[in-house]
Amino acid sequence: MPFLNRRSLLAGGGLVAAAPALSGCAGLTQRVSATTAGRRDLLSVQVYGTDVEAKIYDELARRFEQTRRGVTVDLVSVPFSEASVGIDTGLASGTAPDVFRVDYPTMGVYASADQLLDVGDALDDLSGDLSEAFLGAVSHDDRVYGMPQHVDTSALVYRPDVLRDAGITAVPDRPEDAWSWDELADVADRLTDAAPDGSSAFGVNWQALGAFRWLNFLFQAGGHVYSDDLTRADLDSPEGRRALEFTASFFERGWVPGSTSTKAATYPDALFTSGTLAMLYAGNFLLPAFAETIKDRFEYAVTYLPRDRRRASELGGNALVASRTATNPDLAAEFLAFMGEADQMQAFCEAAVLLPTRTSLLDQQLDFAVAADLMPVYADQVTTIEDRDVADVTTATFAEVNLALANELEQCFLGGRSVEDTLAALDEQVSESAALNVEDGAR
Amino acid sequence: MSAPTVERPADRDVSSEARGRAPAPSRGGSLTAYAMVAPNLLLIVVFLLVPLVWALVMSFQAKRSFGPGRWTGLDNLTRLVGDDVFWRALLNTGIFTVATVPLSVGLGLALALLMDRALPGRGVFRTIVYLPIAVSTLVTSLVGLLLFDETVGIVNGLLRDAGIGPVSWQTDGRLAMVTVVLMTLWTRVGFGMLVYLAALQDVDGEVMEAAEVDGAGPLARVRHIVVPWLRPTTFFLVVINLIWSFQVFDVVYVMTNGGPGYDTTMLVTYAYDEGFGAARNFGYGATVGLVLFVLTLAVTLVQVRLNRKVEES
Repeated sequence: MPFLNRRSLLAGGGLVAAAPALSGCAGLTQRVSATTAGRRDLLSVQVYGTDVEAKIYDELARRFEQTRRGVTVDLVSVPFSEASVGIDTGLASGTAPDVFRVDYPTMGVYASADQLLDVGDALDDLSGDLSEAFLGAVSHDDRVYGMPQHVDTSALVYRPDVLRDAGITAVPDRPEDAWSWDELADVADRLTDAAPDGSSAFGVNWQALGAFRWLNFLFQAGGHVYSDDLTRADLDSPEGRRALEFTASFFERGWVPGSTSTKAATYPDALFTSGTLAMLYAGNFLLPAFAETIKDRFEYAVTYLPRDRRRASELGGNALVASRTATNPDLAAEFLAFMGEADQMQAFCEAAVLLPTRTSLLDQQLDFAVAADLMPVYADQVTTIEDRDVADVTTATFAEVNLALANELEQCFLGGRSVEDTLAALDEQVSESAALNVEDGAR
Repeated sequence: MSAPTVERPADRDVSSEARGRAPAPSRGGSLTAYAMVAPNLLLIVVFLLVPLVWALVMSFQAKRSFGPGRWTGLDNLTRLVGDDVFWRALLNTGIFTVATVPLSVGLGLALALLMDRALPGRGVFRTIVYLPIAVSTLVTSLVGLLLFDETVGIVNGLLRDAGIGPVSWQTDGRLAMVTVVLMTLWTRVGFGMLVYLAALQDVDGEVMEAAEVDGAGPLARVRHIVVPWLRPTTFFLVVINLIWSFQVFDVVYVMTNGGPGYDTTMLVTYAYDEGFGAARNFGYGATVGLVLFVLTLAVTLVQVRLNRKVEES
């Protein structure tokens, strides 16, 4: 039957593959994810992530057990969407795991609420090998509350064959040649003109909890979320207006599918792997999935994110943190230090195709399990993250800002609300959260 | 034609009741009764009443993820009254309920009448219609996503092949609501059919035959005999569907995430987003939840009262 072509089937497969991620929804209506505190010689650890990540976590946990005689690591892997509900409940009821994985924006919530163990002393060795930005991502009030295990960020994945067919033969292969926004607009126009029915020029990875990736455009335009002292919003600015006008034009000019807005229930990587997108703003953590799904059906490569006033990309990635009420805080801190050692960090990042936070490792050529040829572009993108960008996304209330971005941007992208009204609404909500930061003494 | 009468306890000639006084229960009998009720009562108190009271308390507090809440009086309620998203969610829930309840019940009855007849392969058809209710709503919602995805969905694939062109199922608010309603109906119609099928077995065959002899056609027999006969079943289905519609969550969460914009945001998804989403605003989430509780209670009470009136008349 014509409608059940290979493309539909692949996309369908992608959507169905989202089932495990969405299975966290069952937790919303049927059960609350249960967490367990550890014991003196038993360390409970909760992580989330891909199967590859779960496997390497398990290997490293067993390695830790071998170095600490008599110690057992009880490792539990849960879907990402279920993780924070479980941790919140566990922290509130005193059953939180001793150690858990958390993304940098969410970490601010726990650190500011005094739920995390200060591990500054245990991570002394690691701290000396971290950039200010990464150390800042796990710090609160000058205390270190987590081990920044890895970082990931976005770059522009593209299909050379589709670009060639549209007459685009030159794609930047050096950071200094990254497309400007105007050049991206020109490429998008040409791709849209040449695109067959049902295909689009590109997609952006700003759905749901990834809404903060819109800030890449804000930062590139030279703007920021907060004022320098983080006490008030700074979104309603010429830079904010420029970023929002540019990103709203993606939908107005039909460059991106309407179903890839900030509140979309599905992610655009399924559209890319099914062949309906010519380019995709994609995180490096997707590369193993791309390798497995796309195989040799079509060629794909990676180039640098387009730039405006400056180059910028988001601070993605995760840290390992210990609960303040961990049964054996020394053991929890030891585990974090162990996982932060160069050998463990390298093994983890190579297997899961993620970027290390240790400067010494970032400078090395790592032996990534897949897509090793694409990773240098991502490694370069990470260097565009500035301390000021990190401060914006690690405030105590950034999770709320992220939600506001998803809700308000969609009103502009799909609901027809003006750029001015959207910026004003965002500015108001960010200011409210900034006031909470100050009120709670969060910063 | 009236529905069959049921013998009431008052009709019976029991001497103690005739004197208007219930027999005094023995002390041992009461203890046994309480002991038998106790496990259920305990569960209701622990898992229903305590959380309900707790939610009420939280609705008067500024309570975030951790630490004690701060009493803020009616602040949450004041915010609720001025919250455009709340009113939008309330309106959406109303539209969704109005669209799903009559259709779920009506289609359930129509299918039950059809499947009650001696059709070949009747068991297979009944199973097919009932199957979606036996499957997790999460799975049926994912099927909905497969069907109605704007870019690679099966429905748009068919429409594109037919030359009609793709339809904006996900980016047009009204159409997004239609997809949510359609997938909900798919999961609910089977339940209505099953309950009606069971009730149809009690319809008095002699009465139906008599009506037929009197010249009543199939439609007249359904309208004047079957429908009144099934009134208690219809009442049950309306109430249960009302409650389900007010509490809709999974299908919206998976298929539209409340979007585009807030076009399919419902009261429960909004309460969840506020309470357990990134905002972690338990106090406000509890307030939205309580509004939903009061609303469901009020509608159910009105239904019960209306039904009692009809039965009495």
